[in-house]
Amino acid sequence: MANFMVESCVKFACSCGILNPLSKLYFCRHCLKIRCGFCLCHEVDVRFCSNCLENIPSSEARLNKSRCNSCFDCPCCHHTLSIRATSAQVARKSGEETPKEGDAADPSKVLTKKSYYLACLACRWSSRDVGIPDQISAKGAWPENEYVYQSRFQSILEYYQNVVIQNKQEKQEMMRRKTLKAHKFPSLTDRTGLNVSMIRRQIGWPDKNTPKITKATVTPSKALEKFDELPEKMFTEKLNLRNVTTIEQRHGQPAHQPFTVNKLYPQRKNLCIKRSLRCRQCEHNVIKPEYHPGSIKYRIQLFAAYHVPDVWLVSCEKPLKAGVLCQAVLKLSNPTIHDMTITIMDLPTQDEEYEMMEDLKKSFEKNFTSLITSSSTALSTSSFSRQTSITEDPRLVSKKTTADMKMLESSFILNHRDDSAEFDELAENPTVKDEHKFIVSRKSNKVSLKVNFTPNGDLVAGDEVIIGFTMQYTYINTVSNTPDKKEPQQHALTSRVYINMGRIPE
Amino acid sequence: MPIYDSVMQEKPPVVLEIGRIYTKLGFATEATPRFIIPTVSTVSTTEAIKSLFNYETNNEFYDLVVDFFQMLFFKYFLVSPKDRKIVIVESSLCPTIIRETFTKALFRHFEVSSVFFVPLHLSVLSTLAVETALVVDLGYSEGTVLPIYSGTQILKAFQAENCGAQIIHKEIKRQLMESGVSEHLLTEKVLEDIKARTCFVTTFERAEQLRRGESVQHPPDIDYPVKEKTVIVIPGKLRETAFEVLFSIESNLSQMILNSLTYCSIEVRQELAENLVVVGGTAMVMGLLPRLQSELLQDIKFSPYAEKLLLSTFKIHKTIGKANFTSWLGGSIYGGTDLIITKSLTKEQYSKISRVPDWINLEDNCAPAS
Repeated sequence: MANFMVESCVKFACSCGILNPLSKLYFCRHCLKIRCGFCLCHEVDVRFCSNCLENIPSSEARLNKSRCNSCFDCPCCHHTLSIRATSAQVARKSGEETPKEGDAADPSKVLTKKSYYLACLACRWSSRDVGIPDQISAKGAWPENEYVYQSRFQSILEYYQNVVIQNKQEKQEMMRRKTLKAHKFPSLTDRTGLNVSMIRRQIGWPDKNTPKITKATVTPSKALEKFDELPEKMFTEKLNLRNVTTIEQRHGQPAHQPFTVNKLYPQRKNLCIKRSLRCRQCEHNVIKPEYHPGSIKYRIQLFAAYHVPDVWLVSCEKPLKAGVLCQAVLKLSNPTIHDMTITIMDLPTQDEEYEMMEDLKKSFEKNFTSLITSSSTALSTSSFSRQTSITEDPRLVSKKTTADMKMLESSFILNHRDDSAEFDELAENPTVKDEHKFIVSRKSNKVSLKVNFTPNGDLVAGDEVIIGFTMQYTYINTVSNTPDKKEPQQHALTSRVYINMGRIPE
Repeated sequence: MPIYDSVMQEKPPVVLEIGRIYTKLGFATEATPRFIIPTVSTVSTTEAIKSLFNYETNNEFYDLVVDFFQMLFFKYFLVSPKDRKIVIVESSLCPTIIRETFTKALFRHFEVSSVFFVPLHLSVLSTLAVETALVVDLGYSEGTVLPIYSGTQILKAFQAENCGAQIIHKEIKRQLMESGVSEHLLTEKVLEDIKARTCFVTTFERAEQLRRGESVQHPPDIDYPVKEKTVIVIPGKLRETAFEVLFSIESNLSQMILNSLTYCSIEVRQELAENLVVVGGTAMVMGLLPRLQSELLQDIKFSPYAEKLLLSTFKIHKTIGKANFTSWLGGSIYGGTDLIITKSLTKEQYSKISRVPDWINLEDNCAPAS
């Protein structure tokens, strides 16, 4: 596999046209296509606190503003705060009885009382700095900093909600009056609504009173003419920078944004999430993490590296020269447990690429119509909303090859992966007699092969030499999504591979 | 469980105000934004951190926007963007490309159910529960003024000038370099920090003295540690005068407001002058409001305003909450009402027209031909 952290020189084109190393790609087993993070649908799966690893359901997360109930961040440096315990000696009150003998033996008659405070181990900030009293329990009710404008905001919000609803009702009333009755003979009494109320009164019902929202009122803000002038000490007193908060600290508590550090309060820790990824085309999950926050495993993990043969660049003849034939050695490996037949072919031309993009778009549309027809009997909301789904346009591959690669004359077999074979010294690789000339060596599930390529004649020093090819491989799908076909099916899949061979030297 | 969640509980709309430097984000009907974060995007292919609006091609901008929203939803909001309602607070004169790209990314990539654009200046009024005000928005790259009368934006009186944080940063840099600080120390972040922590707007009397060239006892200097072991001295003069660029000849805040008033019709001027409201990150600096008021009262005495405007009082509203998220707060109010259902651009509408209906577009803004 390509190195995870270092940028790889071998890139695979996703079906949407974006290049990525194989380690960043996924493989949808139902569409049999390579997918990347850009063309998959991301979803929030599990919310949890990264400190206490507690799983928090979505309703609770919404209530707590997606913050953890028990963990806090340092307002100074945004590290996690730890709860520290101290014991304070409290003199026992004289009136208190000492029922236990052990206590009675204590001559000084003091009681050790445990109390807790929050401290940051990174910047030494503690909750005592800002005058938060120590708590008796570890999960103490740490005081929340009240937001002064909360009630004012609520009243304004309610006012506007009422205004909007009132407008809506008035509009409906207008419409009701405006629309003419569909009767052939218009009745004047009916129009005024007089009829209804008269009938109601005759029957003895109370008058129909439409629930009208009482006109909401709010006191509008008053503009001020007098402001607090700058304090005189501003011009004379020395400012201690250590007492002034930085912008990050202020934005850490957006409601208050204090100017001085003595108003920094511990902030509840923001939650983390696990994502699940879903194929936009077939709506199947590609990645689904395990529910438990402590686990780093997956329930569904369709990484491309488990399904698509990987390509390495082993060596390349140097120096590269424009227009001169070069040789390089590539290594392919088969991650699956079935033998693969590999054919190296030319990349699609630009026209073909456009065609592929059109096909992709069409396949999306087809999928949606099939979804809609299949769900016409049971009209569920999800498929209904899919009707108007619009999706990302596929793109052309951003990299262009700058070398002409000689294709291999025939296809070859890539042996399946066998973990036990690596430890089996006796089992010699059966030497294939009529091995192709381009194959350098073969070991378990790996094959090294020679490829020849000519960098384009118009390249100048410093230009990158990029070769590209389409790799066709046979893939045995063991999990079939159609129930009637039980036996594994064989597919011939292709993926576009781009390899950066290096630069033309100066 | 997910079905239950979506059917039984309403998903609160997401409110965004994407500024040039800082983005304010939170949920509708909440009294404060959840986060204020820098408007930077981590490019997923190269892992480079880039400012969202620092793009060369439209496609690059689109990718930056997608990466930015991806970060917002999965790192901050922690909700799936699919089928969620979005409120975006932005200026009515926001470039079309920005608006189009945001909408395209939200509908095409994130499959949100609707997008509601709230005009920034108008949304400020809702936080005050008033219908008439002259809104001054002081952002990073520019300051804008837009009078609103009875809930209607007077667009012909719109004013924009280089009255933002950018010009103040420049001034701080200029003064510090004059006093011999090497340029490579003064990154944008350091300048911002110096501005926010040490500078203030001085009083009108002292500013007058400074303008006349009289010597004033400046506030004390400050030793400011830049890197480990490097300490620069921030002169008291800088602390006091950095914000003077907002009242200089080139870009003058009070004249911008007065200009805007002259474009308004004569009947509304008095009321607007008594309902000023100043929002935006730059408006949070100490001493700005009293100074602005004194400057306005001073400028009104002289030509050309003395003849045109017969005003004698200027009153300024106090914003609820901090001035840098006041317009976001307006978005939160708008998103909390029924308007989110009636006025939003829905996915269905967007799939038909593939663009954002806009007031400047005649196709959307013409009376239907009868």
